[in-house]
Amino acid sequence: MPSVSSGHALDLEKFLKSLKGQPLEASINSLISLLKRRQIKGSEPCAVATAHILLQVVARSKWHDVDSLLINVSRTGRKLVDAQPNELVIGNIVRRVLGLIRDEASEDRGDAGDESASDAPTPTDIVPPAATSQQWTTRRLDSANSAAPAARPPIVSSYSSINPPKSLFHLLSTSPPADGDVSPFRNSGASTPTWRGNSSQIHALRSEVIDGIEEIKDEISQVDDQIAASAEVQIHPGDLVLVHQPSTTVERFILRAAQKRKFTVLIAVAPPRRHSAEGQHATFRKKLSAAGITVVNVMNGGLMAYMSRVNKVIIGARAIVATGGVVADAGAAAIARAAKEQGTAVVVLSGVYKLSPESPFDESSLIEWGDSSTFVSFADGPLVSGAEIRTALTELIQPELVDTYITNLGTHSRDHLSSLISDHYKREDADFHIWEEAEP
Amino acid sequence: MKEHHKKDQAQDQQKKGAKDQSKAAAAPAEGAGEKKLSNAELKKKAKEEKAARRAAAKVSQPQPPAGSAPGQAAEGAKGGKPKPKQQQDGPQAAGSQHGKAATPRSAAPMPAPKEAKPSVPECFSHLAMAKGVNLTQADKDVHPAVLMLGQQMSTMAISDSTTRLEATLLAFKKVIDSYTTPHGTTLSRHFTSHVLNPQIVYLTACRPMCFSMGNAIRWLKLQISKIDIDMADSDAKKLLCEAIDSFIHERITLADVVIVSTAADMISPDGGDVILTYAHHHLVERALLRARADGKRFRVILVDDPFERVGLAHAKTLAAAGIPVAYAPDLGALRTNLQEATTVLVAAEAMFSNGAMYARAGTCDVATAAFDLGMRVTALCETINFTERVSIDSLTYNEIDPERNTDEEFRLLFDTTRDKSISAVVTELGICSAKSVPAILRKLEEL
Repeated sequence: MPSVSSGHALDLEKFLKSLKGQPLEASINSLISLLKRRQIKGSEPCAVATAHILLQVVARSKWHDVDSLLINVSRTGRKLVDAQPNELVIGNIVRRVLGLIRDEASEDRGDAGDESASDAPTPTDIVPPAATSQQWTTRRLDSANSAAPAARPPIVSSYSSINPPKSLFHLLSTSPPADGDVSPFRNSGASTPTWRGNSSQIHALRSEVIDGIEEIKDEISQVDDQIAASAEVQIHPGDLVLVHQPSTTVERFILRAAQKRKFTVLIAVAPPRRHSAEGQHATFRKKLSAAGITVVNVMNGGLMAYMSRVNKVIIGARAIVATGGVVADAGAAAIARAAKEQGTAVVVLSGVYKLSPESPFDESSLIEWGDSSTFVSFADGPLVSGAEIRTALTELIQPELVDTYITNLGTHSRDHLSSLISDHYKREDADFHIWEEAEP
Repeated sequence: MKEHHKKDQAQDQQKKGAKDQSKAAAAPAEGAGEKKLSNAELKKKAKEEKAARRAAAKVSQPQPPAGSAPGQAAEGAKGGKPKPKQQQDGPQAAGSQHGKAATPRSAAPMPAPKEAKPSVPECFSHLAMAKGVNLTQADKDVHPAVLMLGQQMSTMAISDSTTRLEATLLAFKKVIDSYTTPHGTTLSRHFTSHVLNPQIVYLTACRPMCFSMGNAIRWLKLQISKIDIDMADSDAKKLLCEAIDSFIHERITLADVVIVSTAADMISPDGGDVILTYAHHHLVERALLRARADGKRFRVILVDDPFERVGLAHAKTLAAAGIPVAYAPDLGALRTNLQEATTVLVAAEAMFSNGAMYARAGTCDVATAAFDLGMRVTALCETINFTERVSIDSLTYNEIDPERNTDEEFRLLFDTTRDKSISAVVTELGICSAKSVPAILRKLEEL
């Protein structure tokens, strides 16, 4: 639906333009409402908007040391995630920025004070398990006594066991932190009490983090090109390729392959909505036919009927969760299932920024339910009062249905995703969106 | 009749029909001079001419361009040819076979709408499609009732297999009624080849026959062939009409009643059942309404076909009957919807003898997803829809939506569900497993 997507691009552009003229708080609030109203939607626009607003947070918010910067960023991130919890990329970008800040801060500290870094645990080392459990219990007691809401203990509970202390000496020498120090910020390595940024250090950190965020923005903009680079390897001459409601990423991928190969494309189009215009994917079709590719718009909800002929199914992801499950437009899961039935390969295209360290406990939590009036008119009284209309916009494709993931970093199997995740996110930041605001 | 060769036989008959057809077209031409046409035939002819005139007037309006000549349509039933070729052949073949009545009128309007139609995508060109036959191009021997039925079928006004079957048989009854055996021949020898076959050829040209129609027509031909040569015309016609009536009654009306009540009984009387169904089928609807009328409490999740919203009206009917309905407009979040359901109830268009189910496109997706979750999938199907053919994928037997048959819009009407995802098939003979379709077919032969 080109008209709709351009409308959203407009909202994104408008928002990006407004960033300069507005105070930071106002920008954040306007982005939150844009997200809530789904005026900015789709993983790429959301990622871009998040990167921009975080850049503003780093550049313009008040912070005097790394911890307060981390708090500022994660607070803003949390608000954005709350505004649109289904868009996992928002959380991903926030995590990337948090990780970036931690990296830059640890480098700075390494330059500034070598003597403190030598005997303290390295920045990635987290509080050892012994300390954790103690901290956990004291915290529990503490929260039982006071009426204050129990702060969730930092990530340590899930991660520290994988990261045992290096020696017995470390275990003994690291004293359990004080009760109040349960925030992950205190464990960020950069926050050793000796570190107090002077203004020049802060300035340097700020500019480095800003550079880092710019890099993330560049990465997002280049994703489509980089993914398209592997098109020729995946699509072979004579293939019958099925794409489901192609996103720009998928379109670029197919078009790139079309430069070298002759194949047939089946487009599984979105069901007609009540107000939608005809002729879906018209420009994409035109480009493909110009390249001599046969394109067929398939108007079936379930595509099991076609699968015996289809060689490859290509699905553009909205997000990928840690288990390898893919959040995609509604209908994709049925297609992936049908492909599995016939042993057809399912290829998922996604930027690395869409790969999320979260793994949902309940798959239905990732379904975004849409406006019921797209299909049923409110004028239709008996139906409105008698039936519950369920319009899913997104859904989760089971990980076992996906054969290959293609990202801007190359082609990956499901097993490889976890290492990609650990390359891109810091463990401390995995659960940033559920940290309580323990810090003032 | 040897049942194992039914299929071949059916095809042979169709081909023979096509040949007879051309003979039939030639026969009246020579016969017209010597033998006087009977009243019924004259009347039929007059009606036909009227219909043709009307159609000629309508041609200026957009109408499904007339496809193939009747002769070709016989093989068009299964494994039709790519369209353009037929279009080329169309006018000549049609012209040669037409009586004097139709030819002059049909000549003028023909070429215009034909060129505009783009062709079916190459990779699906082997599949059949309802092409529709312009009334002016229909064979002159086609009975008006059949003419009308053909138009209703080609426009999908009558679309599901059982309704088509019933309408066809009723139309054939009218054909039999208006038939008079010519001198020098007998009903059992003349009717099938000279009167019935042109009707079948025309219907097939309008829309490929469904399996139940094939079964019923085979049965009807057998009944005709069994008629004693010495029997009086009126007695024979009465006998045939009665046979058709009882066939409809037994195989459709009563069968539906039994299936509906069996399916309704499968819903738990304690309440709490959540039934997921796909799109709309009258059997499913009737079963659900019946269960509700029996006082059972259950919920329905209705997953609709996104490109043909037949489920909306269905949902409305169910809601009006006091059944709580959740309506999902497409297959999105199918797994989540299924997790909530306790059983899946679908209706089949036909059952293949390998246990595969031929049903509305999308049914297979629902059934496999349900199978993944270990749910019970119940298919409702009258035994008249059982066929000895075997299909393992959905592209062996299928139909292209006549309104969406181009590159820009393409749609298949059916898909094939393998037997492993079907837990039970409810027929008028009882509940059986999908694997037992061939056994039931054998049993039916004995009856």
